[in-house]
Amino acid sequence: MQTELRQTCRRLLEEGTVRVVIGYGQTTAAGAVHPVFVTRPEDTDLLVWNDRCVANLVKYLLRKEVRALGKPAIVVKGCDARALVVLEKESQIDRSQIVAIGMACAGQNQPKCEACDVAAPRFTDVVIGQANSPERQRDSADGTHRSRDAALESLRAKTPAERMAFWKDELSRCVKCYACRQVCPLCYCERCIVDKNQPAVIDTSATLKGNFAWHITRAFHLAGRCVGCDRCTAVCPAGIDLRLLNLSLAEAAEKHFGYRPGMDLDAEPIVGAYSIQDREDFIR
Amino acid sequence: MTEAISRQALLELVDAWLGQGKRVFAPVQVKPGLDLYEWIQKSSQVHLDSSVRPANSIKEAVFPRHEKLYDYRYAGKQIELIGAAPPETPQIVLGSRPCDAAALEILDPVFNWDEADGFYNHWRRLTTVVSLACQGHDDHCFCTSVGLGPDSPRGADAMLVDLGDDRYEVRTFSPKGIAILAGRTESTEEAATVAPGPPKRFEVESIRRCLPEAFEKFPWPAMSLRCLGCGACAYACPTCHCFDIVDEGDARGGCRARNWDTCQFAVFTQHASGHNPRSQQGQRQRQRIFHKFRMYPDRFGEVLCTGCGNCTRVCPAALGVRPILERIENSTESQTVGRVSNPS
Repeated sequence: MQTELRQTCRRLLEEGTVRVVIGYGQTTAAGAVHPVFVTRPEDTDLLVWNDRCVANLVKYLLRKEVRALGKPAIVVKGCDARALVVLEKESQIDRSQIVAIGMACAGQNQPKCEACDVAAPRFTDVVIGQANSPERQRDSADGTHRSRDAALESLRAKTPAERMAFWKDELSRCVKCYACRQVCPLCYCERCIVDKNQPAVIDTSATLKGNFAWHITRAFHLAGRCVGCDRCTAVCPAGIDLRLLNLSLAEAAEKHFGYRPGMDLDAEPIVGAYSIQDREDFIR
Repeated sequence: MTEAISRQALLELVDAWLGQGKRVFAPVQVKPGLDLYEWIQKSSQVHLDSSVRPANSIKEAVFPRHEKLYDYRYAGKQIELIGAAPPETPQIVLGSRPCDAAALEILDPVFNWDEADGFYNHWRRLTTVVSLACQGHDDHCFCTSVGLGPDSPRGADAMLVDLGDDRYEVRTFSPKGIAILAGRTESTEEAATVAPGPPKRFEVESIRRCLPEAFEKFPWPAMSLRCLGCGACAYACPTCHCFDIVDEGDARGGCRARNWDTCQFAVFTQHASGHNPRSQQGQRQRQRIFHKFRMYPDRFGEVLCTGCGNCTRVCPAALGVRPILERIENSTESQTVGRVSNPS
């Protein structure tokens, strides 16, 4: 797959179809896999594909420094590609000006991989390799909603007081480095609410109050939008289990609206779509 | 003859400190594979066996992420200021890595340069640092490149060196260190050995010399493309010390506090007009490297870096200072500054 990936990217650059390939590379002495931006055909050998290509690179499509390089090709997994769909729906990218190279994924040893049903990339322009997306587990027949995620289910089994204690413990470690926001493909506000200071809405202090305000606000802003790439959790230097917040809201969106972001090109986003048939009176 | 302490005696001592009302800041295993320095409640939380260093730093003990400077209250049209003197609580940093302890001595001059910083000096005076010599390193460590090593005594009042069999050799470097361990150690004929540090990765003096030329010529934009502009590197760094002053409160009053801040945030240099003198991430990365390896040495005589490697360890894109410094050194040597289009 890696060879095919390199050949594909080389061709795209040689033909001038794209000006830059956003992919995974392994160039440092320490051997970590990290994002690379290949602009010359002869450098496509820098690209790698292995089980450490965990990052969701879609965020880079929104970075102005990357946009300045010209039309991109981007290497995505099936899960990452969901973010492309949402960003297009939200008018943040022009999909016709991006070549998405989908990598069939055998799993990246992440918690999200256990319940993966998007191993075979959809909505990409090219697919490299073959993968079968496992059938998604159905909700139980009696309609009771159980999470597919064991960690979330065990958190839900706790009492409210226990859950509060859990989140206090987790969020007390937050230093407000905003790695969660910076890595998130769907955090693209031109000016984030936490950077607004006239008036300041959210305390910038990394206190329990400021941290709760920040993470709850962010989670709600991602409700019905988060595609579950879990990068926020993976990059958090304090090891905060943010995925549980996001997953909980994603499941609520699915339960109440039958909607999973980035899974259907025709589905309208639940936040941002209006229907005369809406169940709620206040909106009609 | 050396002095030694058993692990059990050490942990009993920790509980004694806590019982005396002292605060103890020590490595805690937060999750498998993640250690952080935290304020502990009991000695059983202390985790000294990790092969990797904590993902944060001990600067939090003397320069907290959030520090209240004073309270204010509105009384009609008057504003009443209520000083908030920090408590006189002695604190011990236990199990600090040598690359963390050294940071305190490196930071002292900047917090006492044009004006002595009351809060920093307050906590510094009340802090005793008991380091733990490193018995291993990972691919990100480069303490030996900045003049430190696995058992460097710099910034520490005392140091523990693993003797095996749940015992530590105790080395003391200051009256504070001697006092805090007095009566708890026993003499022994054994002497601990320290594992070698990481290989030297670059020369700080050659970096310092070539930086002025690299200001324009080095491919900062390309090298910084993968930087996402978060503050993980700076907040995990033992020596990054920028802060912001904020007022937080309501119509009746509130508090003025200082919070960590970092040059990697786009809003760090944003003017009220909207103009941003460092509008590109490459300029922000350049600033961080220059501050650490040129400006600080020029003003205070040494680099603002202890080689702990945390910046790369916590970076979502595996960047941090070392990949950039090695690239600067290599590109200067081979006269290829600005040539390569791909950041490494």
